[in-house]
Amino acid sequence: MRPDTVFDPMLQHERTALAWERTAIASMVSGTLLARRAADLHVSLAALGLLQVVLGAALLIWTGLRYEQLHAPLRRGESPAHPDAVRIIGLTTVGFCGAATVIAIASAMT
Amino acid sequence: MTSTPDHEQNAYRQGAPTPTPRPLERWFPRDPTTVGDDPDYRFTLANERTFLAWVRTALALSAGGLLALTVLDDVRGEEFLGIALLAISFLTAATAYRRWALNERAMRLNTPLPSSRLPLLMAIGVAVVSLVAALIAALN
Repeated sequence: MRPDTVFDPMLQHERTALAWERTAIASMVSGTLLARRAADLHVSLAALGLLQVVLGAALLIWTGLRYEQLHAPLRRGESPAHPDAVRIIGLTTVGFCGAATVIAIASAMT
Repeated sequence: MTSTPDHEQNAYRQGAPTPTPRPLERWFPRDPTTVGDDPDYRFTLANERTFLAWVRTALALSAGGLLALTVLDDVRGEEFLGIALLAISFLTAATAYRRWALNERAMRLNTPLPSSRLPLLMAIGVAVVSLVAALIAALN
């Protein structure tokens, strides 16, 4: 049986989930490069980049789970806003971009 | 037809506090979902995707900067190129949450979306970096 109305016209929900997944993958790429660059300065600093890769992988899993969980609230007409997720991703990205900048300046000075 | 604009009525109805001048809240605004009414879910998701696009832009800039430092190791001037890209990535990431929160707040209060100079600054920044990269390529 076909539903009366199309759920999620223009696939906003799926597109948003894909945007989260692309962001997680970009974070893992950036983390790999940070680990490579930081290792040149000091081996233990590579952990910073590896941490970013692990967090990116965790985000990839979380975003897949959230995609499934959001179907019901969206059908009920509830707001899908998730300020905490936005805050955490915003702050960690600032942290890793800042750490990469500091590492680049430090290795330029040595 | 009413004489007051929509957003003023809304602000009155919701008793919305005016944005505070505290430095922390300027860059890290409070949770916007506590004011106003839930907008169409498609708007909220579009705002979320825009935020994620800025985050990815920051990550791509940092990847570019780190790659410049790693791959162009024996090229003169690579430090400037890498550090400039990384600095732009930091600034982009630092403004992402603020943009999301101000947009979400405006949508919930039915006020116009805030304008931003960041796209312009980004275009100028990347153009300057590209020019420097071309200069480095020509000189090496």
